[in-house]
Amino acid sequence: MSNDNNECTRESLGDYVLVRLRGEVDLSWSQQVRKTILEALDDSSQVGVELSQVSYIDSSGIAALVEGFQNAREKGTKFGLVAASKAVMAVLQLARLDRVFPMFPTLEAARAA
Amino acid sequence: MNAARPLPHDSPERRALAFLAELSQALTQSLDLDRTLRLAVSRIARFMQAEAVSLFLVDPKTGLLVCRNCAGPVDITGLKLTVGQGVVGRTVSDNATQIVRDAQNDPRVHQSVDAETGFITRSILCAPLRTAQGVIGALEIINRRDGGLFDEDDADILRLIAAPAALAIHSAQLAEGLIEQQRIKRELTLARQMQKSLLPKVRRDSFPVVGVNLPANEISGDFYDYFTLPDGRIAFVIADVSGKGLDAAFLMVRVTSLLRSTGRHASKPSSWLAGVNAELCDTLQDGRFVCAAVGVYDRTAGSVVLASAGFPPALLYDGENFEELPADGPPLGILAEAEYTEHTFQLGARSLYLFSDGATDVHKNDADKTEDSRLGTHGLRDLIVRYTVLSPEPRLRALLGDLKRLTLVDDTTILLVQEPRGKAAFNLLDLTFPAEPAQMRSVRASLRSALDSQEIGPELRDRLVLAVDEACTNIMRHAYRGKGKETISLHLSREQDMLLFELRDQAPRVDASKLKPRDLSECRPGGLGLPFIDALMDEWKVLPGGKKKGNVLRMMKRLTRRDQSSGGA
Repeated sequence: MSNDNNECTRESLGDYVLVRLRGEVDLSWSQQVRKTILEALDDSSQVGVELSQVSYIDSSGIAALVEGFQNAREKGTKFGLVAASKAVMAVLQLARLDRVFPMFPTLEAARAA
Repeated sequence: MNAARPLPHDSPERRALAFLAELSQALTQSLDLDRTLRLAVSRIARFMQAEAVSLFLVDPKTGLLVCRNCAGPVDITGLKLTVGQGVVGRTVSDNATQIVRDAQNDPRVHQSVDAETGFITRSILCAPLRTAQGVIGALEIINRRDGGLFDEDDADILRLIAAPAALAIHSAQLAEGLIEQQRIKRELTLARQMQKSLLPKVRRDSFPVVGVNLPANEISGDFYDYFTLPDGRIAFVIADVSGKGLDAAFLMVRVTSLLRSTGRHASKPSSWLAGVNAELCDTLQDGRFVCAAVGVYDRTAGSVVLASAGFPPALLYDGENFEELPADGPPLGILAEAEYTEHTFQLGARSLYLFSDGATDVHKNDADKTEDSRLGTHGLRDLIVRYTVLSPEPRLRALLGDLKRLTLVDDTTILLVQEPRGKAAFNLLDLTFPAEPAQMRSVRASLRSALDSQEIGPELRDRLVLAVDEACTNIMRHAYRGKGKETISLHLSREQDMLLFELRDQAPRVDASKLKPRDLSECRPGGLGLPFIDALMDEWKVLPGGKKKGNVLRMMKRLTRRDQSSGGA
């Protein structure tokens, strides 16, 4: 169970902070995802969450994204989802959140916004 | 006898042989006993030149000798003698031909008939009717017409005649017995059909009660019934009438209608039983009684109220444990003032089994019929566990099938009350895992491959996996509240196009009425799990799991043809 490919990393690209998620985002580590996103929002006024390598996300993972989105809105920070995988899109649609988040197909598009 | 020795043409032996041949042939004409007797008596009277002939047979029920047919001036048909009494009685008791040459002075002769009728008995000859099974009666001839006395030659001839007569009578008796048996069998078959017609029809509309009955003989003293009350609750009853055979069957018919009519108007099971008991105490005779259990199931509230009158304990099975609900009241028809108490419980996802003692009186095998070898409720429990995956009716039939193989000593009836489970036909997955989030990754992987085996398209597969994952994490967070080293069991089964997901926990009872999925149009982080489940499954509900704690979350998804597009479609 421990040697899975779950990963939550943070990269700074100038002013832009990108949080990259990999693997299956579920309750076992979604708190870590939440914390990483909220910290990124504290540190930067442009935050993106890259989701192309996420093969699964549950409601606790979605909740972490929603919390980040709400937090950014309060601060007036830019927040977007980047290259969301099919699996992520399916769950976002289910939660009727696919039109709530700013969504970008690529990192370039996100940074340009 | 040397057959080669020619007999004189007109010798008595020759005449006797000719008569014997004729008589034997005549007697084979009919298997009707009365006709056979009449024929034999009249022909013997003519041939023996006797004034009177009477034929007595032993009545197997009373052991008395009864005159079944006679020829002569006095009709003594129906006259009864004890074995040993008079010449006839002596013939049978001694199994020996009797010759009476001076009837008026012979102590063996019963003088009363003469005294009553004015007939004067002078000489008597009486031969036993012998079969391989023993003496079945006697053939008596009285007074030679020529005024002479019967002699040893006459006795020899009568003995010869008695042999085929006995044989023919015996055959006719056997035939009569056979016909009687067939008549009884026909009547029992009719009674059985009538009884079966009284049992309620199996209902296909996912009705929660089903019963089976297997009579030990042609007919049964057991029965069950169920019907919907005017207020929508479902009443059910199972009963066992004391005794077996026709008597018990007739009583059963009466009790069936009594239980049904009383049940329709009784407010609750205890008064239902009390009403039937009062009526039966008034009318039942010779120590007969009826054991019964009655209940009312309120599907909306999920509650069962059960009352029992001397019926074997009911079994409640939750998929893991059994609970026994013993009888509290005496059988019906014994104590007019008897009172009956009630068990009230939530049925939930549990199965309620009611079974007549025939189901527990079964022996493990033919050779060993000691008390220890009785299957008892423990044996029955094993069978219930074994067949629990089957849907209700096939399950009961499987139980009966196993019970039938074990020597059945009584009528067997089983009644099952259970909410339909989507008829779990075959299992796809059975997993029990610690209630920890870290387990979910491998649970999801197992579930994915189970669903892949059903050629469910990847989109739907992932949605179902999500719903189950959400359900599991909800159990961890809200039912177990994140504490304890408890487990969750996941059971996935499929019946035709229906997928059934069942999650069991041992957490404190969840108040199902408070589980309402929130509106997804408001954007906030928490509370997404339940709306996901609600959106992804066709149906879901939370039911009580065990007696005091535990919950069962049952989720159903019906597959359409489109869902089944295989692989990457």
